[in-house]
Amino acid sequence: MSVPANLYLAVQRRRNRGLTGLYLVVAAFLIVYAFLFPGLLSVNGFSKFTQNWFPLALVTMAQALMLLNGGISLAIGPMVSLGAVIAAVTMGGPFGVVGGLLAVAAVGLFIGALTGGIVAYLRLPAIIVTLAGSFIITGVALILLPRPGGFIPDWFSDLLAGHTPVAFGLLVLLLIGWKLYIATPLGLGIYAAGDNPVGAFRSGIPVERVKVVAFAISGLLAALAGLFVAAQTGSGDPVIGTPFTLNSIAGTVLGGVAFLGGKGTMRGAICGSLLLSVMINVMFFLGFPPVAQYVAQGLIIVGAVAIPQLTSQWRAKP
Amino acid sequence: MNAVKAALRNPPLLTFVLVALVWLVAGLTLRGFGAYGHLRYLLELSAVIGIVAAGQTLVILMGGIDLSVGAVITVTAILLPLISPDFDPTGGIGIVLTLAIASGIGFINGAGAAYLKVPPIIMTLAMATFLQGMLVIVAGGSAVSVTNATVIWLGQARPFGIPAGVLLWIAVSIVMLLIIHRMPAGARFLALGANPLAARLSGVSVTRNTLLLFTLSGFFAGLAGILILGMNRQGYVGIGDPYLLTSIAAVVLGGTSILGGRGTYAGTIPGAILLVTTTALITVVNASPGWRSIMFGALILGLLLISGREARR
Repeated sequence: MSVPANLYLAVQRRRNRGLTGLYLVVAAFLIVYAFLFPGLLSVNGFSKFTQNWFPLALVTMAQALMLLNGGISLAIGPMVSLGAVIAAVTMGGPFGVVGGLLAVAAVGLFIGALTGGIVAYLRLPAIIVTLAGSFIITGVALILLPRPGGFIPDWFSDLLAGHTPVAFGLLVLLLIGWKLYIATPLGLGIYAAGDNPVGAFRSGIPVERVKVVAFAISGLLAALAGLFVAAQTGSGDPVIGTPFTLNSIAGTVLGGVAFLGGKGTMRGAICGSLLLSVMINVMFFLGFPPVAQYVAQGLIIVGAVAIPQLTSQWRAKP
Repeated sequence: MNAVKAALRNPPLLTFVLVALVWLVAGLTLRGFGAYGHLRYLLELSAVIGIVAAGQTLVILMGGIDLSVGAVITVTAILLPLISPDFDPTGGIGIVLTLAIASGIGFINGAGAAYLKVPPIIMTLAMATFLQGMLVIVAGGSAVSVTNATVIWLGQARPFGIPAGVLLWIAVSIVMLLIIHRMPAGARFLALGANPLAARLSGVSVTRNTLLLFTLSGFFAGLAGILILGMNRQGYVGIGDPYLLTSIAAVVLGGTSILGGRGTYAGTIPGAILLVTTTALITVVNASPGWRSIMFGALILGLLLISGREARR
């Protein structure tokens, strides 16, 4: 029985190989950050840091799902806003926090599945459908809550964004969930359908259904990120999610997920989002003006994609 | 019946028919819509989108996408007043310099895509992020007013009763259609979009054409930026943002495949007019911003269902 175990480890080692550079860069940034801000090593500092990272990690996972599947979503940011708005509107209602949680999850799953259905069964390109979807979702958020407001109970904010690392625990749970999901046929199908849809179809993978489920999970993750942001700020804001669309793409790409689908790992994407989050923190502590972050972010994204490309070319030549 | 079928199979024609229908119905039902002044105003707005979408059409035909056009527009609209020298009363030098910078940005995009093998969507996204930061550092975030005579003429003048911007758009359209349909370069772009490997094996240089296409996209975005500046008389951070998504939408509404290799600028022209018209109609309805956003999104989706379906691959 030791053969499958070894095989598993061998596969995992292969999947980690391309990410070594990323791991080192993330570790270096983390050390610099801990050096600049020793409070990171306390429970409170760690909690605050992971809370800043958590929504970015969620949207990066949502975007990574799309890219692995060979698509892309331009509606991540609006979805985050909608999640925040729904949480802020429903949690003060008759069903309380549980009702709010269920409403956010249901809306995320529903909108995701609907988008996925349009893309998969009507054969429209994901980039345009999610572009149109971003306008519609923004509109719905604006109608539900025209200006920032709503209500999130204090104890709920304290639970998620207080002085305990609950957010980090949730992230670990989500990663375990992802591991379990890609062990199922539908989960494995994401990679297969992203890499070669026709081949996957001929091998008996329900390509359309895989896509719809991936979109639904992606929508759920983005909406939950919105819920978390609402808990952090204590209210809902119909445009709070806007920067998340670009950041989710940046994190995913930093994590080495390929744009053409089927290549990349979720752990890479998570690391990419961590890198982005630490980078922003470090630059803040070094006293960079906020706009310099954009300049650096642009350069780092290009570097992250170009350097592995160039080294593999350079390796292949001799 | 055959004519209808032919129209359905010809996206540019279909979009033209849609525009004509919308104009006809709106002109008959809404007071003031059919007035010459209003239609001229719609065309002026379409000209800006049409010119941005010219570069976008080329890049999408090749199978790429340019997400930096909004940032390039903002860069030109802010830089032009700053770098127009005072000793030049016509303002020509400033325009040439600005267009060179815009083309240069496009060239860097192309270089990233061609030499560093960064996918165009990431390269141009990173470029947009980069420019956004640079702009605030360079311009300090305040609005700048334009005094450049040529730019103001371009934005305000109406030779023969036709806005100069629309004349510029007509010129751009003629050049674009000639490039795509009558020149070898156009055939190479389409070949690259349809099948990069086959195109390369047939002797089409991927590197050179990628550089050329992104440079052209930067150039057209810069041209649109100058036109917007002339119409607005003021440049500020964020002025170009709305044009990014509308340029892509105009291209797709015109029936050009987002996957590359299939399409024409002849579709983008009515695509731009259709977008502007429907935006104007949505404004007339006097809905709340939320409903306006929903209508706009639903409209793009609906038009896409009619014209932009991808064949099963």
